[in-house]
Amino acid sequence: MVKKEVEPLLKKVQKPARYTGGELNSVIKNKDDIKLRYAFCFPDSYEIGMSHLGLKILYSLVNDRQDAWCERVFAPWEDMEKLMRENGIKLYGLESGDPMCDFDLIGFTMQYELSYTNVLNMLDLGGVPVLKKDRHSLTPIIVAGGPCVCNAEPITDFIDIVLPGEGEEVTNELIDLLIEHKEKGSTRLDFLREAAKIEGVYVPEFYEVTYNDDGTVKEYKNSETAPKKVKKRIVSDLNNSHYPEKFVVPFIETVQDRTIGEVFRGCIRGCRFCQAGFIYRPIREKSADTIDRQCHLISDATGYEEVSLCSLSTSDYSQIDKLIPKLFKWALPEKINVALPSLRVDNFSDELLNELKKIRRSGLTFAPEAGTQRLRDAINKNVTEEDVARTASMAWSGGWNSIKLYFMMGLPTETMDDVKGIADLAQKVLDLYYQNPDKPKGKPPTVTVSCASFVPKPFTPFQWEPQDKPESLVEKQKHLLSSVHSRKISVSYHESKTSVLEGALARGDRRLGQVIYKAWQKGSKFDSWDEYFNYDNWLEAFSECGLEPEFYANRVRKYDEVFPWDVMDYGIRKDFLIEENKKAHRSETTPHCRIKCSACGANMLNGGKCDARTK
Amino acid sequence: MPEPNKWHSDVRVFYEKTGMAKYISHLDTVHLFTRAIKRAKIPIWFTEGYNPRAFLTFAMPLSLGTESYCETVDIRLMQEENLDELTARLDSALPPDIHVTKIAVPKLPPQEIAWADYKIIFEGADETFSERAEKILSDDKITVIKKVKKDREKVDKQVDIKDKILKYSINSENGFAVLNITLSSGIQNNINPSLVIGKLTENSSTDADSASIIKLKSYTAEGHEWE
Repeated sequence: MVKKEVEPLLKKVQKPARYTGGELNSVIKNKDDIKLRYAFCFPDSYEIGMSHLGLKILYSLVNDRQDAWCERVFAPWEDMEKLMRENGIKLYGLESGDPMCDFDLIGFTMQYELSYTNVLNMLDLGGVPVLKKDRHSLTPIIVAGGPCVCNAEPITDFIDIVLPGEGEEVTNELIDLLIEHKEKGSTRLDFLREAAKIEGVYVPEFYEVTYNDDGTVKEYKNSETAPKKVKKRIVSDLNNSHYPEKFVVPFIETVQDRTIGEVFRGCIRGCRFCQAGFIYRPIREKSADTIDRQCHLISDATGYEEVSLCSLSTSDYSQIDKLIPKLFKWALPEKINVALPSLRVDNFSDELLNELKKIRRSGLTFAPEAGTQRLRDAINKNVTEEDVARTASMAWSGGWNSIKLYFMMGLPTETMDDVKGIADLAQKVLDLYYQNPDKPKGKPPTVTVSCASFVPKPFTPFQWEPQDKPESLVEKQKHLLSSVHSRKISVSYHESKTSVLEGALARGDRRLGQVIYKAWQKGSKFDSWDEYFNYDNWLEAFSECGLEPEFYANRVRKYDEVFPWDVMDYGIRKDFLIEENKKAHRSETTPHCRIKCSACGANMLNGGKCDARTK
Repeated sequence: MPEPNKWHSDVRVFYEKTGMAKYISHLDTVHLFTRAIKRAKIPIWFTEGYNPRAFLTFAMPLSLGTESYCETVDIRLMQEENLDELTARLDSALPPDIHVTKIAVPKLPPQEIAWADYKIIFEGADETFSERAEKILSDDKITVIKKVKKDREKVDKQVDIKDKILKYSINSENGFAVLNITLSSGIQNNINPSLVIGKLTENSSTDADSASIIKLKSYTAEGHEWE
């Protein structure tokens, strides 16, 4: 609950219910009964953070313990931050209203690179010294997890402990250890030494980095108790791992205002551009019964009107045909909608479409990702034009009158012909509407083409590739626009400058810590929000540090270069990624993991087990 | 709205929205009730069509930041229920700052609301504030600036709200000024108390945002309590 001094501010800000706490199913504990206080921080607005499944899982996991209390902290919007600073109010946990500096463990989830400055801003606003070197006492300990920490190097100036992989088990181990050290009255260093012995715990200060003359990394030297490489943690059996029975229900509308059922982790596809497709391996599926039970419990506890299934590619779930009727059985009578995001065009069946017809229809979205077959092969999308055409025909005849197509621009090996291919494919999809004998009357059809700029990421076959430059992307965007000849096709694309920064931070090294720090000092925050993004701040920060974003984003890397993220072991063999990179340049595809195992190596994280093969 | 051809009964939920719940907007309150009714497993009617939604009718939207002891939402029950038991069930499914006081058969439609009592507390307001307020409110004309929509744009319009105030009293003590005021209310002629607050704090050292607004009761044109 908010403190009395915060109340007067609430009347002056937009959407004050973001700052009050007290939502249904939020957890209040007695401070005297607990030994450790954990602040789970999402470095973006409440609406985005509250939609994040990882927060829901870890919030419930920590609060299930008698001895710990997990609270939520989000980045306040600009109006609130200004009032907080003017009135000397520190950023607080929503449950207790206590400032962040009172917590023992402060955990940030790093979902996207452009949220890094928000981490600094939140620490500062919460009364915690931003720089690790200025924090001397045992607590608070700042930890970071999430997909971005597969290369945590750019934020190691601010973070004490990095947790690569899945947090369910290691969070509890870390909490146990910190409680023990609090009781012993240990020093920060004593604690970190013990923490580094836990599998999946990366303590950056125990590694010394040296660089070559050309600016590339020479070597990582581990010291103290730290292992040479830190292996990411995974949960072995999703049927028996922790999943919340209730979600905190926000007072205001958030991005994901629904029950979320997690279906499986990992992805069988191996699209070469997709970081998530590699870093979440190996495949581990939940049983249909487990998912059904979990969804029903959460729906009862929240009153949500929609259930959504969450995974990287829901139609690849081996028990999807069994799960959907199960969900419909209770959801439909209870007037609960079932949403199925992340469906693929190549295994989208008539039956599935008929099931979808029973529920609310919004537009349909497909992601061919590239305009020509050659480029789709190079990125291993494994979707043919026939797949797209067949699905589009089914959708038009099924009564949909709007189809959204996702593409990426700036992919390795891309030419202007590939760009024009995007327009051609959109036109083909549109034409199919008119060839359809039972097309619905009334509203004309629309095809929306949405283009993201490709950013090469660590632990993908494209980690060696130079990112396309903004000038080149602008050219390609122009070419795309001039290739579209129908007003029923609309094109949108993403600001390319944010992609440059995203690219530099994604494959950056430790030296970027000072760049992030300077950019934040110049006022950068909420960089993923176009209205806040200030590219000039960043360029100045880079140049003041004697660094260039191009070095990180646009440089061709050699196969034998030592990467800053080589200190992490995500199970994926580098040889496998090199092989995939070579195949991309030959526009050769790799079959997905159910057809043939490519021996990526990730199954070794799970004792040789991978559900892509055993199911 | 098509009538369901099954047995049904329209009932009115009377509730209070106080404390932190005053920061929940009207639209979010609609969602909140939809979910609470679902959690409480209350068998209500859903609209037909592709997007069935819970059929809820709120008498009046309540402004963000205003507390109220006289809110209502009408629901259509599709099964006979004991209304006292239903009151308790819905109340326990709602956050603590939203409290259901009773569920009963509605006596009058929302169109019959004509007046509402408000209590407005001004923090950091001294004797002179009360005296000034008294003077402003007893004037022949009380001109306030109202934002109105004209050609899809919001424009300022000067309106005299003298006849929209039925009665008022103002007292001050310990740095607080308390204004009890009965304002025109309802779907047609609603006067938002913030207009009065704006007028009274204009050119004064008292901060308009620091005023607390509490809605107490709704009345018909004849002065009967609206239920």
